[in-house]
Amino acid sequence: MKRRWVSLGLSLLGPVSALLISAILGAFVMLAIGKNPLQVYAVMISYNLGQLDSIGSIFYRATPLIFSGLAVAIGFKAGLFNIGVEGQYYLGAFFASWAGVYIKGLPAYIHLPLVILFGIAGGVIWAWLPIYLKVKRGAHEVITTIMMNSIASAVMLYFIHDVFMDQNQGTLGAPRVRMPPIQPTARMPTMLGFLHAIGIDMPNYVAINWFLVLAVLAAVAVYYVLWRTPFGYELRAVGQNPQAAEAAGINTKRIQYQAFLLSGAIAGLVGLSDLLTYFGYLDIDFPKGYGFSGIAVALLANNNPFGIILSSLLFGFLERGGLGIQALAGVPREVTTILEGVVILTVVTVTAIIGRQVRAYERHMAAIATAAEPPVDTRAPGGGQ
Amino acid sequence: MAKTPLLTLTGITKRFPGVVANRDITLSIERGEIHAIVGENGAGKSTLMRIIAGLYQPDEGQIVLDGRRIQMRGPRDAARLGIGMVHQHFMLIPRFTVAENIVLGEEHARGGVFSPREAQERIRRLAAQYQFELDPAELVENLSVGAQQRVELLKVLYRGASIIILDEPTAVLVPHEVEELFANLRSLRQAGKTIIFISHKLDEVLEIADRITVLRAGQVIGTVPASQATKEQLAEMMVGRPVLFHLEKPPVKLGGPPIGVLEARDLTVLGAHRREAVSGVSFVVRQGEILGVAGVEGNGQTELVEAIMGLRPVAKGKVILLGRDITGQPPSTIRNSGVAFIPEDRHRQGLVLPMSVWENAILGYHRASAYRRGIFYDLGRVKDRVRNLIRTYDVRTPDINGRVETLSGGNQQKLIVAKEMSSAPTAIVASQPTRGLDVGATEFVWQQLLQARAQGLAILLVSADLEEVLALSDRVIVMYRGRIVTEFVPGTLAATTIGEYMLGTRRDTPAAVGGENA
Repeated sequence: MKRRWVSLGLSLLGPVSALLISAILGAFVMLAIGKNPLQVYAVMISYNLGQLDSIGSIFYRATPLIFSGLAVAIGFKAGLFNIGVEGQYYLGAFFASWAGVYIKGLPAYIHLPLVILFGIAGGVIWAWLPIYLKVKRGAHEVITTIMMNSIASAVMLYFIHDVFMDQNQGTLGAPRVRMPPIQPTARMPTMLGFLHAIGIDMPNYVAINWFLVLAVLAAVAVYYVLWRTPFGYELRAVGQNPQAAEAAGINTKRIQYQAFLLSGAIAGLVGLSDLLTYFGYLDIDFPKGYGFSGIAVALLANNNPFGIILSSLLFGFLERGGLGIQALAGVPREVTTILEGVVILTVVTVTAIIGRQVRAYERHMAAIATAAEPPVDTRAPGGGQ
Repeated sequence: MAKTPLLTLTGITKRFPGVVANRDITLSIERGEIHAIVGENGAGKSTLMRIIAGLYQPDEGQIVLDGRRIQMRGPRDAARLGIGMVHQHFMLIPRFTVAENIVLGEEHARGGVFSPREAQERIRRLAAQYQFELDPAELVENLSVGAQQRVELLKVLYRGASIIILDEPTAVLVPHEVEELFANLRSLRQAGKTIIFISHKLDEVLEIADRITVLRAGQVIGTVPASQATKEQLAEMMVGRPVLFHLEKPPVKLGGPPIGVLEARDLTVLGAHRREAVSGVSFVVRQGEILGVAGVEGNGQTELVEAIMGLRPVAKGKVILLGRDITGQPPSTIRNSGVAFIPEDRHRQGLVLPMSVWENAILGYHRASAYRRGIFYDLGRVKDRVRNLIRTYDVRTPDINGRVETLSGGNQQKLIVAKEMSSAPTAIVASQPTRGLDVGATEFVWQQLLQARAQGLAILLVSADLEEVLALSDRVIVMYRGRIVTEFVPGTLAATTIGEYMLGTRRDTPAAVGGENA
């Protein structure tokens, strides 16, 4: 039991020290633009934690990042670098939007799940080609998914602007480039009512919604699949040593195929929180970049599903805090982006360094515990130096 | 011989994060002797040698050379003081000639122009001085392993070394090359050079060394003159307890005549660059028998094993298990039909290092329904079984939830062997099963294989260690360039003759080999 706490502590050591170091590095950024870092951090914390709507907003911002981080992590665990989460969630959002607009006459309890399934399907379809090319022809998934991202954003623009553009937007001003509104039966409700019922009253503009719960459930499911099923076992074995996996009779290609499609399926969910709760329609300014943020989220969490929840919240915190320090401390928005970059860079380097130390420590402990006769004092039976 | 030692180490201690590699080592090397350092893996031999070669700096203690205390900050300092090291893995450029490799970094250039001819002449004289057989103009990529080693030796001699450290020099050589190396070392000794020879092969050490120092767990256990030492005594010093060298290998009694279990029929396998790595190999491994495959590494053994296990496509021919054609089946099918597999490289093929001990203990058998409740693993049950397994096979691990990479090499291999043996196989394919293991773990693996043999299993044993093949096998085939060049029963051929087969200078007519398997 004690050992378990020790190993948990060791696994948190990397991310926590990375955060501290990045806070220090961030302080230099603040100093460089002539701000007092302590003051800025104080504003960020009080703005973020001092009011309910900020907290709600952090959870809302974290929701897509959890899905995205999970999608990336599954790829990483199988030894695949899915940079294509970005494109996969565009497609997911488009599929979901189509089903939300054009499938009519269904009750909400069928329509909404169906729309979510369409989102998943969009992600899977967009993930299929890269992994097919990888398994059959050896094309590297990093290259192909980057290409697929470009294609996805072009395809989405084409569909929104040229095929499915909403023609009934009223007469006020120029029409927006967007698809028709999603029917109410396919909209995901916010959690405000539920929160009110348990005594938390958030302002009604906060878009925290039930996809948050879905995201947390997805994290739990991913954890169980990866660490408690033979499929997850094989997926991790393939990711960490494909040769040994193959020698053990595991069909490495099939596992990679399945893992990547699973990654794509979860990627398909990334955009739905924004689409089905906040916007209610798919437009040309639909939020971009969650797929790339997901890479950072997964890295910070070392691909641990529960860690992904925490690191998503952290990124949500930084984003929301960015608004706060912009408004209240006069720090430009770009600085927040720089801060996020600093976090990612320090995490990558610090976890690598700490990880090495931790492994050396573990080896040391193992050597001590397994030595038949302790390596010390074989010649001096009395003990002592 | 002068009575003051040439090199004296006093109280040398070297620590690494997590281990003390050398602890209070005191050792003296006489001028003009061949001094062997023996010890198991992890005993601290290599660390000690790297300290003498200036690659590591000791944390404590001092080194005295020729009566003068020295401190080295790198291999250049060591070279300046006349200390050179030949590493186990050669550091040569294949596309350069022998002479170019030797002078590299120390080229003589006249007016900024390097003359290959002059370098070759210089190296020719150097080689002749020590009676080394070597053509300075030859490309290194065309040389045998033994000749490459001579290049490495000349490299340190060229830099004026008077103390030469050799790290496990015989590990890569065939018997006849070992003899050549020893002849070279003797002529170096005659020329007044001092040689430090690291090994864990006791027979060789007893043959070549003047004095032998035994290390165990980072400490010096003792130094003995080779003329007064015995193998048993050295082994006991190394391991800390008596070691059995004589292997019990009684004939296996079966109910009826032994049936062929694992069979290769005219097997042809392609290797790298689609070149034929295995050409028309046929053999049968019968119940209760160990069939050894000897040969210099890289003569198709790896590809042969991979083809049998379904890890590499078969170009022609068949693999047959108990009369059933398993050619081209996926590895999972072959394993499930009862072929256990001990792969040649446990880090690459045998284990998933970052995964836990218990996860590695079920690798390959992880789909067993006994491990599951519904679709999920029953972790309690799995771990109980693994605990049983490691207790039965005496795998030393503090915690089965720890990463398998924290185990020592011997315990990692024990884990693999334990897992494979407990799967109730009918045949075992064991490739280099004791590579890099210490004496204790090697003994364990050998006993497990012999026990499996006694139970009537058919065992294919591939090993580059000829001693091992001869000690364990009932029959031995020798592979050279993808073909079986001979088959014999251990004890019927002299080691030098086997060496000739391994080097391809001798081969039986194909008919004689094929006849056995018809």
